[in-house]
Amino acid sequence: MRKNISLILGIILVLIIIAVWVLSFVYMPYPPNEMNIPDKFLKPSIDSEHILGTDNFGRDILSRIMYGSRNVLLVGIGSVTLGTLLGIFLGAVAAMKRFANTIIMRIMDGLMAFPGILLAMMLVAVLERGIQGSIIAISIFMVPVFSRLVYSMILDTEALLYIKAAKSYGSSRKQIFLRHYIPAMLPRLITQFTSAIGSAVMIETSLSFLGLGIQPPYASWGLMLSESRQFFLSYPYLAVAPGIAIIITVLGFNLIGDGLNDILINRGNSNE
Amino acid sequence: MNETVVLKDLQINAGDNILVNKTSIVIEEGEIFGLVGESGSGKTLTAKAIINLLPKGLSYSADEIITAGKNMLTASAEEKKEHIGKNIGYIPQNTVFYLHPMIKIKNQIGDGYVYHMHKTKKEALEKAEALLYKVGFKYPKIVLNYYPWQLSGGMRQRCNIAMALMNDPKLIIADEPTTALDSTVQRQVMDLFRTINEEMKLSILLISHNLGLVKHYSHSLAVMYAGQIVESGYTNTVFSNPKHPYTRLLIEIIPSFKIKKDERLAEIPGLAAENGRDIKGCVFFKRCPKAMDICKEMVAEHIDDKHDHYYRCNLK
Amino acid sequence: MLSYILDRLKSSIVVLFVVSVITFFVLMIIPGNPAQLILGTDATPEAIQELHAAMGLDRPLYQQYLSWLLDLFTLDMGSSYVYGESVTALIARSIPVTFSISIFAMVMAVFIAFLFGIISAIKKNSIADYFSRSIMQLGAAIPSFWIGMVFIVYFGIKLRILPVSGFVPIEQSFAGFIKSILLPSVVLAIGEVGTLLRIIRSSMLDSLKQDYMDMARVKGLSTGKTYIKYALRGALTAPLTIIGMQFAKLAGGTVVVETIFALPGLGRMVLTAVEHRDIVLLQGLVMFITSTVIIITLIVDISVMYLNPRIKSFQQGEL
Repeated sequence: MRKNISLILGIILVLIIIAVWVLSFVYMPYPPNEMNIPDKFLKPSIDSEHILGTDNFGRDILSRIMYGSRNVLLVGIGSVTLGTLLGIFLGAVAAMKRFANTIIMRIMDGLMAFPGILLAMMLVAVLERGIQGSIIAISIFMVPVFSRLVYSMILDTEALLYIKAAKSYGSSRKQIFLRHYIPAMLPRLITQFTSAIGSAVMIETSLSFLGLGIQPPYASWGLMLSESRQFFLSYPYLAVAPGIAIIITVLGFNLIGDGLNDILINRGNSNE
Repeated sequence: MNETVVLKDLQINAGDNILVNKTSIVIEEGEIFGLVGESGSGKTLTAKAIINLLPKGLSYSADEIITAGKNMLTASAEEKKEHIGKNIGYIPQNTVFYLHPMIKIKNQIGDGYVYHMHKTKKEALEKAEALLYKVGFKYPKIVLNYYPWQLSGGMRQRCNIAMALMNDPKLIIADEPTTALDSTVQRQVMDLFRTINEEMKLSILLISHNLGLVKHYSHSLAVMYAGQIVESGYTNTVFSNPKHPYTRLLIEIIPSFKIKKDERLAEIPGLAAENGRDIKGCVFFKRCPKAMDICKEMVAEHIDDKHDHYYRCNLK
Repeated sequence: MLSYILDRLKSSIVVLFVVSVITFFVLMIIPGNPAQLILGTDATPEAIQELHAAMGLDRPLYQQYLSWLLDLFTLDMGSSYVYGESVTALIARSIPVTFSISIFAMVMAVFIAFLFGIISAIKKNSIADYFSRSIMQLGAAIPSFWIGMVFIVYFGIKLRILPVSGFVPIEQSFAGFIKSILLPSVVLAIGEVGTLLRIIRSSMLDSLKQDYMDMARVKGLSTGKTYIKYALRGALTAPLTIIGMQFAKLAGGTVVVETIFALPGLGRMVLTAVEHRDIVLLQGLVMFITSTVIIITLIVDISVMYLNPRIKSFQQGEL
């Protein structure tokens, strides 16, 4: 079998981020929010005590990147998990209960019609800004994607013989759903879930960059970029580390999503 | 007589797997040549090798491939493309997707003619109209303005035939041309082939699994089994004196009206080999009712003095 | 065919209605009293109460919704308390900026995506293909605000060839206009190109496998004819449908890009409205942007139908 380069590369990138994240609980060079004005704007250097340099408040950038990984992964994975569960539930209800079908699917169409980040911004305007607000806003953005997926998959699976067989044996709907539909839908759900984390991370960093996500003084990569905007003309290195961290994370999850898509769904007939 | 196609000792490989082996064909000018075999026997691949259309991933070798007067083994890719475009008409099995579904007939029927014969589009349309009339359309102008999906299967196949005739080709390759059609339309299309063959003096390579059809319409034929030609010759000779057990069985199982009620249609037991087509012995060994021990080891090639009847079998 | 258009029109209207309901009711649960926000913290409770009633906020929600919806039809979207101007006028003023960069970005993205998508499908697994696929992945993973910042440093500060902020209207100076929208459009286009490239590449690969390509090869047509007339023609439907949907992504992307490049467009106004919780402005903007996207998608879908005769026949039940 041909090696799945996307998957391998994606797993390596995500493992790097997860390693940083785990390490942030064990060891960080400096407290991420500790200001040290005399040491501000130190350039990155392997020899110095601040490998990635310091920002305008003299805070250690490496520590802030490490701390930021917590927020980014929490919001990214949390919001997609929430969105997936809600999406599965609504999609399943819509597919199985006739009366709910039209209402739920119309609302999903409506939610889908909002251009990308606009829906998240609108929701943030209503919610508290911060981790919770970001998680809820992004998860609602994810709901229609998953509910539509589940809805159409259930309708497709309904026609399959073993489902009909299970029904004729008198299995209850809940049993059939848990025992037959979920396993049948799992490959697509897992693939979609992984790719969705990539886009969730992108939305989180955008929201933070716009000042609508995680609030100062806490660290988030988007926020770090936003804070560096005033100074980065003179100190461009400020924008390098957070940018690369975002790219690694999003690229990693997207590549895993693509790789899984090849393995689980296209089964080698991929166009890659 | 001149030959339109000369193919000597063709072998087609997919990696290490041999798909077609030791295959030689000669198609005389102006004849209908039937290539018969079960599906998977390699007849379509053989035809595709003649017109340089083998799918990617397959490799081939041969001692000689001459298609419509040009040596395909020495010609450059560009020369092959032009030669085939000018001299060969191809009529496929499946009528649905060989005509581009999103392009009107008038915009795809004549583009090869315009390109190779350096004609204007108007001239191409005039010729297309005449040919469409010839293949049986009463109102060719209307057909030209249709999309392929607006036509029935038989109409599409007739469009394919008209398209194949645009450049006055020397050879037409018809790959199971009637499979997708119902039986009355089948008959019309086959009669059309015969008319074209007689009027335009062009050669037709007719690929079919239907021995009855080939018997009725071809001048010569070759029977393929598991990637090899097991018997070939003039149609009359082969049918009056079949030598290879496979050919005999095939002839026996042609359904006829003499069949009695409740009688089962005859069949040949077993399946054709997918692998191991390069064995020294006979490829039909496992299914052959007259198999001998020697057939495992080797197989004799017979060819009569007049070179009009060939078969590979250890029986005399 | 007409029935297909009517069908699409009907579902678009339903979606628009749902969007209006979501927009109105979600924003109505914003914490804080709009009247208080407008008058500030110094205002007396009586004054707030008075304004509250004057704005119609004491009526039942459904009545407020209905009158808001009716006003929408007359293009009256109320007035923004941040800007102190009518929302309609504000939107009208911002349209040129956002539309310019969106259209410019879309044209660039479509051009690049088709170019690389086609090459990459024809020369599958070549260096060109790997290059295109890298663009595909990186385009989707690099945040636009980061690219924007890099561009500003490089083109604006180091090379000093392009302005890094502000918008020059086209009637003021054409060269200035192009210069002012070039960087933002490129940044937007980078975000768009990946998705488009992916879909063009895969439908092109699909088309290349079709039987009609065998026929084109037997005909021995020129390479251009074979790939453009036959392969590309068979591969157009999916990319064109996606282009419609890409406008939606674009509309979201403008928020970030307009913020970095300080362009006075719709996106930046959305950010201002969110920051100040200016509900009336936000409702108007969201409704306007979303309806525009829905209308564009509708137009694209109908155009695709004209290009793809088979959809027509499905609708007529001919096939």
